[in-house]
Parts: sequence; C-alpha cells; structure tokens
Amino acid sequence: MRRSGAEGTLFRYTSKVVLVGGAYYVAAILGLRLALIERNVTPLWPPTGIAVVAFLLFGWRVWPGIALAAFAVNLPISTNGLAAAATAAGNTVAPLVAATLLVRVGFRREIDRLQDALAIVFLGALVSMLISASVGAGTLMLSGAIPASKFPAAWAVWWTGDAMGVLVVAPFLLGLLQRPWSGSLRERIELGALLLLVADVSVLVTNTDLRLMFLVIPFLGWTAWRFQQRGAAPAALLAAGIASWAAAHGLGPFQQGTLFEKMITLQAFNATVAFSSLFFAALVTERTRAREALERSAAELEDRVALRTAELSAANEWLNREIAERHDTDRKLRQREGQLAEVQQQAQVGNWEWVIPEDRVSWSDEMYRIHGYLPKAFPLTFEKAVEQVEEEDAARLRANLEAALARGRDHDLPPSEYRIVRADGAERVLLGKARLSVGSDGRPLRMIGTVQDITEGKRAEREHRIAETLQRSLLPDRLPEIPGVLLAARYLPATSDLEVGGDWYDVVQLPNGSVGLAIGDVAGHGLRAASTMGQLRMALRAYALEEGSPSQVVGRVRRLVRMLVPDIVTLIYLVFDPESGTLRFANAGHPPPLLVEGNGETSYLEGGLGPPLGATAHPRPDIDVTAHLDAGSTLLLFTDGLVERRGTSILDGLTRLKTLAADPGEDLEALCDHLLGSMVTEEVSDDIALLALRQVPLAAEPLFLRLPAEPQVLAPLRQTVRRWLREIDADPGIVDDVLVACGEASANAIQHAYGAKDGLFEVSLVLSDGAVEVTIRDLGSWRPSSGSGRAARRGGLGQRLMRALMDSVDVDSGSEGTVVRMRRSLQVEVDRERTRAR
Amino acid sequence: MSELARVESEQHGSVCLVRIFGEIDMSNDRDVLSEIEVAVGRETDRLVVDLTHTTYLDSAGLALLLRLAERMQARQQVLSVVVPVDSPVRRAFELTGLASVIDVVSRSEDALSETRPGHSNDQM
Repeated sequence: MRRSGAEGTLFRYTSKVVLVGGAYYVAAILGLRLALIERNVTPLWPPTGIAVVAFLLFGWRVWPGIALAAFAVNLPISTNGLAAAATAAGNTVAPLVAATLLVRVGFRREIDRLQDALAIVFLGALVSMLISASVGAGTLMLSGAIPASKFPAAWAVWWTGDAMGVLVVAPFLLGLLQRPWSGSLRERIELGALLLLVADVSVLVTNTDLRLMFLVIPFLGWTAWRFQQRGAAPAALLAAGIASWAAAHGLGPFQQGTLFEKMITLQAFNATVAFSSLFFAALVTERTRAREALERSAAELEDRVALRTAELSAANEWLNREIAERHDTDRKLRQREGQLAEVQQQAQVGNWEWVIPEDRVSWSDEMYRIHGYLPKAFPLTFEKAVEQVEEEDAARLRANLEAALARGRDHDLPPSEYRIVRADGAERVLLGKARLSVGSDGRPLRMIGTVQDITEGKRAEREHRIAETLQRSLLPDRLPEIPGVLLAARYLPATSDLEVGGDWYDVVQLPNGSVGLAIGDVAGHGLRAASTMGQLRMALRAYALEEGSPSQVVGRVRRLVRMLVPDIVTLIYLVFDPESGTLRFANAGHPPPLLVEGNGETSYLEGGLGPPLGATAHPRPDIDVTAHLDAGSTLLLFTDGLVERRGTSILDGLTRLKTLAADPGEDLEALCDHLLGSMVTEEVSDDIALLALRQVPLAAEPLFLRLPAEPQVLAPLRQTVRRWLREIDADPGIVDDVLVACGEASANAIQHAYGAKDGLFEVSLVLSDGAVEVTIRDLGSWRPSSGSGRAARRGGLGQRLMRALMDSVDVDSGSEGTVVRMRRSLQVEVDRERTRAR
Repeated sequence: MSELARVESEQHGSVCLVRIFGEIDMSNDRDVLSEIEVAVGRETDRLVVDLTHTTYLDSAGLALLLRLAERMQARQQVLSVVVPVDSPVRRAFELTGLASVIDVVSRSEDALSETRPGHSNDQM
C-alpha cells in the first residue's frame, strides 16, 4: 500500500507519538513501584529520562505523546482530573525545557566531553526539574492530597526523583541509541561481567544492615574507565535502580530512620552514582581523545617532516642540475662563439656594431678579413670603417644613413650592395644589412649589422645566366615531325644557383628515313659543361649522318672526347626505324632507356652498356643492341637527374620511374609532365633531360604530309608511305609500284616547282573504293624542262613510270601550282605485268 | 646504315663488280654515280653493277645508269646491270624499256662469266 508524502509524514509522526507515549507510560508504571510518598512521589522517576531523550531525538512535536501518557499515569492517582492535567503539564514542560537547554549549549549525545556531563547534570536534570517538582508538589498540596506541612519534603523528593530519572535513564538510553558497538567478544564478556558485578554488589549492600553502599563506587569507576559511557550508563542505572528499589521497600540500610533520612541517603547515593559515572566516563573519553589527537598530530608531524625533507632534497637536486646546466650552457656558448667565427669565415659574412654617441665601431674578425686586414688590426671609427667604399657607393650609403638616423625609431635599413677597393687594389662586392636602435628620446644609440662578401656569388650568377642561355640555345628548339612517331622532350635546369649542367638530347632525321635519338650528360656543371655539351651535340649529329650503326657513332664520339674534351660523358645513341619498329642503340655509361609497352609492361633496355666516354683510355669496342618498338609502345630516354635523389639509391629512382610510367596514357606531352611532376618533388639538384618516343599506327586515317621541297625528304617520305601501305595490307608488289609513282611525282614537285627557292609540297594518300588515291600538290609554277639535261631525262622516265605503275594519272597544272592525282586499285592483277610490259 | 645507299666494289681482273646497297633517288644519285666512277679503273674493260641489294630505284636511278652507260661506251667499256627476277626494282627496268638500251642480267655470276664484250640480253 502506498501512501502519499503527507500521509507518510503523518503516519511516521503518529507512530513516534504513540511509541514515546507508550514507553513513558510503561516506565511510569514501573517508577511508581518506587514511590516513597503517597503513590506518586518517587525517588527515581524514569519517564522523565525517557521524555528528555524523546525530545532530543524527535524534537518538541512529540509532546502530545508525553502529555497524554503523563495524564494517563496521573489521572488514577490524582484527586481529580484537573490535578492530573496540571501534573501532566508539569511533567511535559520540564523535559521539554531540559532538551531545549541541552541543544542550546551544544550537548553531544555521546556524553564524551566533560562539558556534556556538566550540561546534563545541571541543565538537563537539576535546573529543568525544578519546574516539574514545583508544579507536581504544588498540585498535590492545592488539591488537598497532602497538607501544606508536607510540601517541602514532597517537592524535594519530586525534584530529586525527576533529576535522577534524567541522570540515570537518559545516558543509558542515549548509549543504546549510539552506533553499534564494535567491541571484541572479550570486551563484551568483560562488560557483561562488570555489569553483573555492579548488580551483585548493589544487591549485596542494600540487603545488609551494614552501611556499605559506597562499595559500589569502585566498580562503577572501573566500568566507566574501561568502557566509558557505554559501560557507565547501564552500571549507574543498575546501581541506582537497585538502591531505589531497596529504599522503596525499606530493605537493608533503609530499614530504620525517618522518611527524610531515607530520602537523603538514597538521593545522595544515586547522585554520587550518577555524577561519578557520568563525569568519570566523560573524563576518560576526553583524555583518550586527547591522547589520540596527540598521537595523530605526532604522526602528522612525522609526515610533514618527511615531506619537507623530500622537498628540500628535490630543491637541492634541482639546484645541482641548474648549476650543471649553466656550466654546460656556458661551455656551449663558448663553443658556439668559436663556431660562429668559423661560419662567418666560411660564409664570408662579418658583423659589426657602431656605438653612435661615442663613434666607436667594432668589427668581427671576418669583417677585417673582408676588408683585407688581419683580424683586430686596429680600433675603428665610422669614417675609418667606410674608407674603402667606392666614392659613388659611399655617397649613396651616407644618404641612406642620414635618412635612417633622422627617422628616430628602431628599424631595419634596406639591404644595400656596394663595392670596396682594398689597400692592395682588389675590388670586392659587398652586401650590407643594418639595424638601428634609438634611445627613449629618439636619439640614435647603436647600429648593428652584417656584411657579406658576394663577389664570387655575383660572378657565378653571371656565369649561371650565360650557361643557362647557352644550354637552352644548344638544345633543339623543336622536334622533327615524323608521321606515325610521337616525340616529346623536356629539359629542366637545376634550381640551385650554379648548377646549369651538361645534359642534352637531340633528334636527327637520318637520310634513310630512320630517326636518330641521342641523350647525354657531361659531368660537371656551369659554363664549361654547357659548352662541351654543345660541341658533342654537333659532333654526334655529324657522325650520325655519316656512320652506319649506333655503336660506330658512339665510338666516334668516344674518340673525340678522348682527344679533345677533359670531361666524363655518358651517352646513349639510338636509331629507330619507324617502318619496322626496330631500335638499335649503343650505351656509354648512361641510365638505360625505359620501354613501356602498350599493355603497360615496362622494362629497362639494359644491354650494350659500355663505359662512359672519357672514363677509360682503351675501352673495348661499343656494341649495338637491337630491340623492337610495337605500335603503341613508348620509349623513355632520360638523364640521371630524373632518377637520382640525395640520400636514396638510383635503383629506387629507377623503380619509381618504372611504376609511374606503367600507365603512360594517350598524350605523350602529358606523360612527360606527369613524370617530371612526380619524380621531381623538391628542388632540382641536377638538371634533367627527358625524351619520349612513341610508335603510333599510321593507317587509321588518310596520310597527309607537308614537306619542304628538298631531295632529302624523299627517303623519309617513302618510309612513311611504305608503312602506311603495309598497314592497310596492300600487296607487296603494289606497295613497290605506288612507292615509285609517289616518289616520281614528289621528285617532280621538288625539281620543278620552286627552282632554287624554298617551298613546301603536300602528299596525301587516301583509301577509296578498294583503291589508293595519291595526291601530290605544290604551290609553285613548273618550269619547263631544260633541254636534254639530267633532269629532263629523269623527268621523261618518271612520267613513263608513273603512267605505267598507276591505273590513272591526272596532272592539273595552273598558276596556283600543280596537282598530280593518281589512283591504283589494290586488286592484285595477275596479268598486269605482262600487259604493261608489251 | 644511316646513308641511303652504300657502294662496294671488287676488281676481278679487267672486270669491276660494283654492288649497290640501299636506295637510289634524286637525293643521292650523283653521289652514287661518282662513287661508281671512282671504282672503275683504267684497266677495267667491263663494269658489272649489281642491284641485288638495291631496295628502291626510280627514274633518278635509271637516268644514272643511262648516263653511266653512255660514259662507259665513250671509253670503250662495257656495262652490265644485275637485277634479280624478284627484285623490287626490276619493274622499273621493264616498264621503261631500259633493258633494250642496257645489258641487264638476272644473276651476277652470269654477268661475271661473260668475257666477250657486247650486249647479252638474256632475260627480256
């Protein structure tokens, strides 16, 4: 069953009231057994102790329980209801006042301090019970229950009874309500035994005529000493209860004497029992606590000493470390000063300071060296410091300085370049940087700065510019256009200042229609490497036109290098025949070409490797290596700058390039950019040349060529036409026929259209209705054949050949030029040969 | 290899054998002609130009041979030209009727074994 909050509170309250009222009533019935006067004045009145404890525990609100129980107790023994009510009121108010006073003075229920014992004795018992005694005894007298003469005795008994009720019962109850005792079994037995002893002694002394009641006291003391309130309270209750019982029944010492004498004896005993047990227990507790506090503080002190000692030793250690570090820093500083001087010397940088008000200039050692003096040769002033500066520059520097000093605040002066002439006449170019510091009033105080000797740098810079220009001018400005062959090239100069290298590449169209590709690297950098490269490039071109095989060309260059050039050179020369896709090459110590096939397979062409040019006096002959480049395959030639990185093996670079090139894509230019972009991530420490070649199918579309009208183009033209015809699967006989006809028409264009002037002519081949249509067009005006010369004879033969070889030949000659249109069926005619021959 | 045509010559007594490798067109006909003439000495009675290894020959080459034939004739020397049956250049001789002017044989052995001067058109 659930109750609301208000109901729950009410229920708990009612329960408390009933509990308290019940306890009070039962205790009162027991207490009345001890009555000495009439039936309602008792020497020990336990309900008062219960009431005080109830008010301490539950507060003033439980008063109805006390009041009703007190009324119920008093009604049968009072003369009328009014008297009972008055007595009940007194019995209620007195414990209420007692509890209130105790709370006011900070009473602790443990009664473990002397002040708690004093509070309960005087405020809780003696003072507060004046109320109940006065009201109770007064009511007895006024209601006529006792005569006025008996009032003092009744009052005294009532007062002491209530007070004893508080002193004997309240500590006992409060003790029971403490948190459970954690005593050992032995202690519990000891306590039980002591209480039994107190009870025995009490019974013994109250049942003998001898006045031996004081014998109880030592046992009470012992109990209080051993167990404090926990033992003292029940012991006092036992002793006082037994004594009161004996007094009420006139036993032992209470057999004789007047009621007053009995009262005095009993109350004196009870008071002694209560006081001594209470005070002794409180004192012992207090002493114990004080000792514990002392022990605690002693332990704490020990801890603090240990802590402080640790702190001190840590501080000491820190101090030692600090000293060691200072020492170390000091040493490093001295070392650094030495290093600085060394660095300054290496970098040719000096630093200076100018204390302006005193016109005192100090120079670092390197400053003296830059100016051609021995370090620390002499003291300096501003004028002395600038005496070597050339007149023109000096004027500029002074103007800058004036402006800077006039600004009146800290700032950096713009760097300035100037020349000095040393005492020995040597001219140097210096770069000066300075910073001005001013005082709080803006007056110039101090200037510091650096001076760098940049003479060599300036010279090298000029050389670098020349070398780079030379380098660029020596590389081909454009690559030849070869039908069915894609070419792309890149040259990337080194970024670091003086590193223009001797890398080069070249593409040469050979008389037989093949293409010569060269890539090389002259060791070293700068102007000399660039000029060597230029010489070798030209020599190689010449040899390429003359010599047959790549190994012969490389061999010739090798001889040239040995005779003329003191450098080491690596070189690959490669001849590519676009018609057959055949590659032949010879390699003199150069990184191998990378072959990337159409399916993405990559391999380095590592064969045929000879020593670099100029490396050995008598090398064995160079050898040719042959490879094949299918349509769609790509060949990459490069210099070591592409694959070499500081700190990594060239093999890593080669592996990386291989991976990157495995997906070459359609666009050869894009491939070059991709490779350079991915391989060159930081600054270019060595220059890089890259040359890419790709064989692409020709016959996918009509062939169209525009060529210079020179006899040299005929062989490459034939090669392209032959390739195109083969790719469209023309019969070999037909290929030869068309080739000759095309050659004749082209020869005519070359011979007749322009004379000695330069010009272009166009050749196109188109596949149409199972026939090949050949068109040769020029933009010149044909000159009439000059009599019977070589050209005329050739021309006549040519006309006859063209007409015999082709199915139709139309010549359309006008002022705009001449167009020759020829057609030849691709059908193989078995009889043609015989027919024509006749 | 890079040259368009290469000329090799051998002297067999009074017979000079010249082999032409490669191609002949108007870009190299003069060079080839002068190389052949250098090879022909005074003691040569008979010149055999072997075109077995010639892969291309057009009107420029034919004109060269006509010119050579004229010069030889003027010096009382005999010219024979070797053109194998399966040669790619054979068609040019056939179609221009040059064979009727110049002695053309199919095999170099035939030309070399011939000792008597005069034309011997054994093929056409």
